[in-house]
Amino acid sequence: MRVLVTGAAGFLGQAVVDRLVAHGILDINCFVRGTSDLTGLEEVKRENPRARMQYVTGNLLNKNDIRRALVGVDTVYHLAAGMTGAPASIFSNTVVASKCLLDAIENRPTRVVLVSSLIVYGTSGLNADRLIAENTELDAHPEKRSVYCHAKIWQEQLFREPTKDGLRDLVVIRPGVLYGQGNRNRGVPSRVGITLGNLVLALGRREAPLSHVRNCAEAVVIAGQNKQSSGEAYNVLDDNLPSCSEYLRRYKHDVNNIRVIRMPFPVAMLLARAVSGYHRFTHGQIPAVLNPYDARAVWKGHRFDNRKIKDLGWRQVVPTENGIRDAFADLRSTSEWLHVVGKCQNLPIAEDAPLALSSKSTGDSINVDHRSVASLGVSS
Amino acid sequence: MLKVALIGCGKSADMHVGAIQRLACARLTGVCDVEPLMARQLAARYEVSNCYSDVDTLITSEKPDVLHIATPPESHYRLAVAALEANCHVVIEKPVGMNADEASRLIAEAEVRSRKLTIAYTYHLDPVARMLRDLVGRGVMGDPVHLESYFGYNLKGPFGIPILGDANHWVHKLPGKLFQNILDHVVNKVTDFLTEPAPNVLVHSWQSADNGTPRLGRDLPDELRVMMFGKKSSAYLTVSSHARPIRHSLLFRGTKNTALLDFNSSTIRLERDSILPGVLGRLSSPFSEGWQCFREGTRNVLRFVRSDYHFFSGFNYLVSKFYESIVKDLPVPISYKDILRNALILDQIVEQLHCATGRTS
Repeated sequence: MRVLVTGAAGFLGQAVVDRLVAHGILDINCFVRGTSDLTGLEEVKRENPRARMQYVTGNLLNKNDIRRALVGVDTVYHLAAGMTGAPASIFSNTVVASKCLLDAIENRPTRVVLVSSLIVYGTSGLNADRLIAENTELDAHPEKRSVYCHAKIWQEQLFREPTKDGLRDLVVIRPGVLYGQGNRNRGVPSRVGITLGNLVLALGRREAPLSHVRNCAEAVVIAGQNKQSSGEAYNVLDDNLPSCSEYLRRYKHDVNNIRVIRMPFPVAMLLARAVSGYHRFTHGQIPAVLNPYDARAVWKGHRFDNRKIKDLGWRQVVPTENGIRDAFADLRSTSEWLHVVGKCQNLPIAEDAPLALSSKSTGDSINVDHRSVASLGVSS
Repeated sequence: MLKVALIGCGKSADMHVGAIQRLACARLTGVCDVEPLMARQLAARYEVSNCYSDVDTLITSEKPDVLHIATPPESHYRLAVAALEANCHVVIEKPVGMNADEASRLIAEAEVRSRKLTIAYTYHLDPVARMLRDLVGRGVMGDPVHLESYFGYNLKGPFGIPILGDANHWVHKLPGKLFQNILDHVVNKVTDFLTEPAPNVLVHSWQSADNGTPRLGRDLPDELRVMMFGKKSSAYLTVSSHARPIRHSLLFRGTKNTALLDFNSSTIRLERDSILPGVLGRLSSPFSEGWQCFREGTRNVLRFVRSDYHFFSGFNYLVSKFYESIVKDLPVPISYKDILRNALILDQIVEQLHCATGRTS
């Protein structure tokens, strides 16, 4: 049995490869880009010498690259998606890439495990006390949501289109906001608070919909392995989650001394109306990062039901408390400041001589005075 | 009301749609992309009623008055000819074609058919660039002596990442690779001011570090320096993918004064001889600069309040003037002479790049 993992070098991808090996699935094709950082995957390889991991370097927009990756594969774990950049890039890397994957699979008897997101639900019109289970409809107006959400909804719909042989052997995983050690997205998740520099507008006492990356990876593998999961979707988020306020309180204590202001939902809605109104009025002088429809869907405080994935046999491999503690410790240890200091360690600094660097350099301009580090001209 | 259609729903499309939808005299009725999903997503986000995956069907069905072409460069000429033959006015993404010959033939075709054509120079008509032209026109700057155009490029940004990650990206197939796609931004800032019709050009480029493309089996030079000089003036062009922070600027040194244009923050500062003597002049110089910074910052705040401080202000202005030229039958905002001159300089640079690297991948 050989499996293919797309987005294998990503935050979740590395964890999925690791859990696949832990479950005894050793023949893994890792689909990576030419520019992907393979450090994490190499570590998995080193720790699991039994694993027979192969890198397939390519682009999911190229069907020939995908066909190379699909040789001998019976299960595809499709994790790759465009998360940042221009709207066209997000659509292209999420929806068009998925279409290319489906075209390349053609009529092969291949199971697809698609990693979607909790944001795809049409929660805008639902009451805040509604528990969101997997049978909740997808949002009927994806164009009113964020570009990422829009793309993820279209991606799911694309996979659910029946083939000429009937329905596809498809499993959909809908995780919450991923956290854990090695997360490249270092800020506060937008579902927890709105970050404005060092200020965070906190979204109140509602539960933060988080999923530890290893717990999510475990769910992906368990659902992928279980034949009963065909055609089903699963919410994946941890138990005993902190509220947004509690998360931020701990973040402030453990990671970074941010300033937190609690923002009640009606105020958040006012802010969303103001931003979207101003965007329309000025023909896009500021980007439409907020709108009332999306704000209702994301910030109203819905809770998500994870009983279905538990019924399939999923259990957290990392307890929530330990996961948050370790993730915050990781964030703290690799914070931006220490990154700058780390760069300085390679510089030939005399024992007690202050050193000033400026000019257009590949790094940032810094002053080093032996014991303290201060910045000059660091690009914002 | 002018009917407008757009071909190419990639990363540049949002800028075009934004500029079109600001205009009272135009309505975007159709979008087209070879990948139907890309056309659908753009249509959904901007409430455009029709989407197509075939250009001929778009032109036949929509019968647009104006066609925007935002596709990769190698298709510009073919699509623009099809649009002109269908009696459309045309806005083309830069570069206008693959070489000056294509640019020249397109312009000739537009003139024969009495259609108008322009190129999507993002910074050429930026508010600060217009202010500089005004200062030069009024004689404040004197004659141009030397210009320095600087363009920072982010290889880790939304445009760079797809190029680095895909060996088959269309940028790798351009003769001038990355530079051919972005050089217009650098060149069109200076060509207005160079007095010689065909300046001498010297080019040097290199790949400064492992930018990841060798893993794709591709080379991608990412640092470029160009020296252009004639009998009375010179210019130095820089494209840098590694210097930080990423900035777009123009330094204009004239026989009377010097101006520094910052296209990121949209400011212009003048360096003049101090009216105070000796040490007093040297002491007052930073205060003079500080005052200019304060004045420019205040002007930008006022522009923001008037909702006239968009990221693509220059392009929005260009599109509005182009449409005005169609409606009122005025001259086009960027003269065909300037477009051709830019294309000729680009040809010289690309040719030297090709000779210097001596390799195609």
